[in-house]
Amino acid sequence: MSTPPVLTLDLPSAPSALPTLRELAPALDAAGLGGLSVSGDAEAGDLHPIHVASHLAPLTRALAVLVRTDAIDVEPFHLATQLMSLDHISHGRAGWLVEARSDDAAAQAVGREALDDAAREQEAADVLAASRLLWDSWTDDAVVRDISTGVFVDAARLQYADFEGQSFSVKGPSITPRSPQGQLPVLVADADRQSVGAAVAEQGADGRAIDVRVDVEATAQDIAGAVREALGAATAQQADAPGRTPRVVRLIGLVEAGAEAETAAPAALAARLADAAAQLRADDLIAPAPASGASLRDQLGLPRPEVTIDPARRSDRARTSPEETAA
Amino acid sequence: MSSTVTENPTTGPSAEESAHPIHPSHTPSGTIRLGVFYQGVNSTTVWKAPESGDQVAWESFERLITTAERGLFSAFFLGEGLRLREHRGVPLEFDVAGRPDAQTLLAALASITENIGLVATQNTTYNDPVDLARRFQSLDLLSDGRAAWNIVTTDNAWTGENFRRGGYIDHSERYVHAEAFVDVAKKIWRGEDVDHAGNHYHVRAGGKLPRSRQGEPVLFQAGISPEGRDFAARTADVIFSPFGDLERAIDFRHDIVERTLAAGRSADEVRIYPGAEFALAPTEAEAQDKLHWLRENQVGPEQAIALLEQYWGRDLSEFDPDGPLPDVKPEVSESGVTRGAGFQFKKAEELTREWREEAAEKGLSILEFARSRQGSRGSTFAGSYDGVADRLAEYARYGAVDGLNITPWLVPGGLDDIVDELVPRLQERGVYPTEYTGSTLRENLGLPPLD
Repeated sequence: MSTPPVLTLDLPSAPSALPTLRELAPALDAAGLGGLSVSGDAEAGDLHPIHVASHLAPLTRALAVLVRTDAIDVEPFHLATQLMSLDHISHGRAGWLVEARSDDAAAQAVGREALDDAAREQEAADVLAASRLLWDSWTDDAVVRDISTGVFVDAARLQYADFEGQSFSVKGPSITPRSPQGQLPVLVADADRQSVGAAVAEQGADGRAIDVRVDVEATAQDIAGAVREALGAATAQQADAPGRTPRVVRLIGLVEAGAEAETAAPAALAARLADAAAQLRADDLIAPAPASGASLRDQLGLPRPEVTIDPARRSDRARTSPEETAA
Repeated sequence: MSSTVTENPTTGPSAEESAHPIHPSHTPSGTIRLGVFYQGVNSTTVWKAPESGDQVAWESFERLITTAERGLFSAFFLGEGLRLREHRGVPLEFDVAGRPDAQTLLAALASITENIGLVATQNTTYNDPVDLARRFQSLDLLSDGRAAWNIVTTDNAWTGENFRRGGYIDHSERYVHAEAFVDVAKKIWRGEDVDHAGNHYHVRAGGKLPRSRQGEPVLFQAGISPEGRDFAARTADVIFSPFGDLERAIDFRHDIVERTLAAGRSADEVRIYPGAEFALAPTEAEAQDKLHWLRENQVGPEQAIALLEQYWGRDLSEFDPDGPLPDVKPEVSESGVTRGAGFQFKKAEELTREWREEAAEKGLSILEFARSRQGSRGSTFAGSYDGVADRLAEYARYGAVDGLNITPWLVPGGLDDIVDELVPRLQERGVYPTEYTGSTLRENLGLPPLD
């Protein structure tokens, strides 16, 4: 593993935390932290984590903006385009921490039933696969703006998703053009490893987010020590599966929803994290401070993937094979 | 039915009548406000102009909304994308296409603005009511009371191919479904428990989030069928109408006031914001030149042929765009071939015959005819800055509309002349706000507070 993981701070999307988050996000950005991740649970009365991540993105310039959000009780088409939109808004700093929630409350809220383990894992894998197809449904140069032919978008540079999953299908293409990173980095946090299942955690995803829980009053020394310990353990466990590569360290517990009184002032917390990051960077244990304009893929050392147009899914197929037009 | 509004109008009530409201129960506010409708997918946006910018870049939205807020606009309004428009089975290539998810973008725009309303169009067919209600409530809290929902209904199975339930709603059922959907959303916003069993699904959930400073999101609605108007009169705070020319705006206001009263609400509880397009210049002659340039760039030969193919239902590429309308019969009777464009005509044969006759009578080529259709669904205000300001002052006196929802033809600079030239002239005439009257959308629209 050549690129060390990105140090991120987990933020709750509780409404009561909003004023803190608005101050904290730019402070973390200025402090050179690698990223923030937003977590939330609608059933617990949290704001939608994608909305909160998107809200914080314009307040920051360099750090990654990850969102931990569900792949199960969602419309896959909407979810995929929401994540792409976050990537456009953040200029390529977005990442997805896949969650797979399927309890009665979440399922009943959308008129479905809770899934058993196998069905939930299958659903998570299907939603991720459909998302990846939609993210690649426009080439980067699909908007051609050719005044001589009057063509704004070239249909030969778009492709359908034509995705058939266990419980849903998605036609595509995306309504949103390809996003700055092409494919958002997809990670699985340790907290979600069990529920998303092995197919997503070890094959579908780009890597692992190591969860490190620290006390709300942890010092820079405590934080650096906890991260060192967790990374040491992860290195010992690491196998060849790409999904097991530690890409992100997710610090949990420093900002607790509903406990504002106990959470340090944003500037002080950012300073503590900057100090911890400096200690870890001195030993090359985490990635360097991100440069303004760097994508999350840049921070992770992941190359930006090209789109390959599949002739069978090319969106002008009705024109090129007229027999299909009648259908 | 061209509705281009020029100076020296010949329609609308006379000056003496203008002292009287359109309907005895309606009180004109004496002002007119503006909003911006960023469709993202349309033929209004001129992408061929050298100053045309990126359709999805953050910087484009940042500039548009910052300009709109500087101009004290009521709201920034986004369309919803459910499926890319297709023409003859292939994504439509000639118009701008591609847009971000509306609410995700508005959540970001909320952090760089303070007063402007944030409106997302969202349909009641391919969203889940509890999830959508919670998203809107999230947006309302993030923006501190500036969110609104433009409620639309969709029923076609073609759009449904991108969603779990497919084409499950019948056209006749769409408003019944929509009304139940909105009821569920309101219960969630009010913190109530929901147990709703409709024809298609059964949802159970609870409202968990606190109320925002405006209570709950403002509701916009755009249906113009009789069912759509009644739905709006019962449910909506703001109607986004296509009736921008003064005479039709007055008729529509009258009709909506009647329906609002019949629904047991006060006439002043429903605001009307027609869609509008502006072609402004220092002088009337320059504005007409600009409008001409605009139409040429909005509708090229390819779009003109595609427009006709939509109604003829067949390949018309052998026809000369500079020649007369095709003298061949249409091949469709039920559905057009441009999907997702909004309008399908059933009586294609009758319609195409009318068009041929109209074009022949006026001596219009295919291209000229297609250009004459552009903008016919909303209203185009073409004129000098002062002339258009005078026209809008007249709208304000009648109370024909509460505001206009502008689709800028240029991204991202299309609001600049409106904000820099028109707004000050409206303020001089005393018909436009000089500051935001409140900080929530409900306050800035002059709507009564919720209980």
